[in-house]
Amino acid sequence: MPIVVNLDVMMAKRKMSSGELAEKIDISQANLSILKTGKAKAIRFSTLEAICKALDCQPGDILEYREQD
Amino acid sequence: MWSGEKSIGLSKLCILLFIIALIIVVVSAPWLTHWFVGFSQNDLGGTESFFMATIYLGSIPAAYLLYNLLTLIRRIETGEVFIAANVERLRRISWSCFLGAGLALVSTFYYIPWLFVFVAAAFMGLIVRVVKNVVAQAVELKNEADYTI
Repeated sequence: MPIVVNLDVMMAKRKMSSGELAEKIDISQANLSILKTGKAKAIRFSTLEAICKALDCQPGDILEYREQD
Repeated sequence: MWSGEKSIGLSKLCILLFIIALIIVVVSAPWLTHWFVGFSQNDLGGTESFFMATIYLGSIPAAYLLYNLLTLIRRIETGEVFIAANVERLRRISWSCFLGAGLALVSTFYYIPWLFVFVAAAFMGLIVRVVKNVVAQAVELKNEADYTI
């Protein structure tokens, strides 16, 4: 998929663990893992909002569009 | 009080009754055909072996269909409804119906009323096929919903 999730990069920048982020945005660690590994097919605005709030960033810091070959 | 669990139980019971009926028909095929040929008002002399061939050959897709149906209902019982394996089971059930329909169509050469069986089996196969298409779409939708975070 040409949409890349850079959540782990942002989490590293904010020095936040998966468990901590999952707790802050109120989703399971399994779902957070799906999001981090790029297996997710869609993301809810409410989840995106919670992530941006928890990591103090913009949606563009987490999601990136990369042209496919 | 009627519940989904009881409904599945009833479906399982019906499948088991059909399995028993199939076994009885296969075991008693020689007597059954002999009785039918004698009972029929049409001149069916010399067609007993054809009837038996139709019954024995038809029992193969019928048994395969019932086996797949039983597997399907067992999966539904455990809560596995919208999964790719169930789509495959429905596809096999549908093809079993079409196979039975084909056999009935061939059998019309010695006994025209097999045509009714052909139409019924083909129609059932068609319905199962449409249900299979619906379940396949539902599986895709469920996968998408499961991976929406």
